[in-house]
Amino acid sequence: MRHSARLFAIVATLLGVVALTAACGSDSDTGSSGSTDGSTSPKVIQVTFSGKSVTPNGEVVQVARGQKVELDVKADAAGEIHVHSDPEQHKEYGAGTTHLSLGSFDVPGRIEVESHALEKTIVILEVK
Amino acid sequence: MILAHGIGGRQDLPIPLESAILGAVVALVVSFVVLILVTRAHGDQAPASRRSWRPAWVARLGRVVDSRGWTVALRGVGLLLFAFTVFIALFGRDTANNPLFGIVYIWLWVGIVPFSLVLGPAWRLISPVRTIHAALSALRGSSEPMFTYPRRLGLWPAALGLLLFAWLELVYPNNNFVGPVRLWFAIYLAAMIVGGQLFGARFFERCDPFEVYSSLVAKLSVWGRDEQGRLVLRTPLGNLDTLQPTPGLVAVVSTLFGTIVYDSFRDSTPWLQLKQGDFITEHNLGYTLDNVALVAFPLAVGVFYCLGTMLTGVGHIERRQLPGHLAPSLVPIIVGYIFAHYLSYFWEGGQATLRQASDPLGNGSDWFGTSDMTVNYFFAYHATLLADIKVLGVVVGHVLGVWSAHIRAMQVLPRKHLVTGQIPLLITMIGFTVGGLYLLFAS
Repeated sequence: MRHSARLFAIVATLLGVVALTAACGSDSDTGSSGSTDGSTSPKVIQVTFSGKSVTPNGEVVQVARGQKVELDVKADAAGEIHVHSDPEQHKEYGAGTTHLSLGSFDVPGRIEVESHALEKTIVILEVK
Repeated sequence: MILAHGIGGRQDLPIPLESAILGAVVALVVSFVVLILVTRAHGDQAPASRRSWRPAWVARLGRVVDSRGWTVALRGVGLLLFAFTVFIALFGRDTANNPLFGIVYIWLWVGIVPFSLVLGPAWRLISPVRTIHAALSALRGSSEPMFTYPRRLGLWPAALGLLLFAWLELVYPNNNFVGPVRLWFAIYLAAMIVGGQLFGARFFERCDPFEVYSSLVAKLSVWGRDEQGRLVLRTPLGNLDTLQPTPGLVAVVSTLFGTIVYDSFRDSTPWLQLKQGDFITEHNLGYTLDNVALVAFPLAVGVFYCLGTMLTGVGHIERRQLPGHLAPSLVPIIVGYIFAHYLSYFWEGGQATLRQASDPLGNGSDWFGTSDMTVNYFFAYHATLLADIKVLGVVVGHVLGVWSAHIRAMQVLPRKHLVTGQIPLLITMIGFTVGGLYLLFAS
């Protein structure tokens, strides 16, 4: 019994240390989220469709909260882009060059931008 | 969790690298501290871990929860929820705003875990298939099963059921249309009703994927039963120690862990670039690749785990029996990871579903007064806090797992091999935990 009490004490101490370290870490980023006024220049992502392939191909793109996101789409055929934001967005584009604005995102998180027809993830927007 | 379903589809930010490393280091240190303390333990007292308490209030509570009125009331609640779900599955609109998806993928599938963790084996009390079974047996005038359930089959059917649900949720491309979801559950209902009539209510204990999942997680709650079947309190680890090795238990555990790991992995850039690469695209192999991965992940988990446990023992127990005996130690690791994986999704998606449920037919009605509630995005706005909670959940799960393995090892391993015998299992468990943390960091 004393053995398991000691075990418990050690484990509890270790977890306490983690909790403390974690708690100290969490103060730092809440203050830095003041740049959400959207004054930063929009993030423009070049998207190229050709046949069954698309570039970029599943890459992660960092976006600030409130920063506008725009897609410059070059495509050989018309199609639709599906943005897994809340609410979801469906954007159509034609053959040739299309400029799509996705607006800005306020809630931090990862948002997938997919090609509907190809069932491919083009980019993952990491909003923070 | 792509799960568009009108519940957005925005996912959590990855946890910071420092948190992942910190969590991994703690998991590593705790593992070896527990292991080393085993050597210093003396006396061969078998751990009194299965001890239970039954104070007066638990005895009173036990009489209430085992009373006929309470049982019937819970069955009624289950049937109401079931009737509502059937109603929207039949008459709801086939749009992403149908609450069916949230009810099935979030309230049921994710909700099983917190409810069972807090309340014990909750699903069997409200399970509509059990209620239907009881009604049919009453109509038939006999609850005598026609056949005895084959012991060797064990939990294997439940493992298959869990895999099939994971397939619907994670792989099947049309999982956000009403028809396929309705069909899946129609087949589930039919299988459960026929199985129940053939093998009796015991069938649900072994074959209902949701009940098996719920009862497994409930082993980490404080609620247990003594030999007379009376309600008692146990420590979560003591409760977990009452989990008996059953054929298929390792399969259930591996399926749960493997599918959820696949869920994390499939959104990572390396996987996307492989799946969306030229070769796979040209040969239309994306869907095949997903199916293969869904089976391969649980298989890999199972193989690693069996290897770790079978290398572990030396003694009177046959090596082949060791994975089953040590399987309880995986349960906390899985629950810790599920907690980390689903916490914010359950919070936000659960609310969004409540909002949709109030207007089930999409005609602007407001059945429960929640149709214009705003979803609270607490966790999204506190990304660091969320990351810390996730890491803590994974680490706590790991610690409980190692501890539980230690309790079991004291029972099944001979004393002189207690420390050396546990090392392979320990390495496997560290591998699972660090792998889980890596996925939380990388995708």
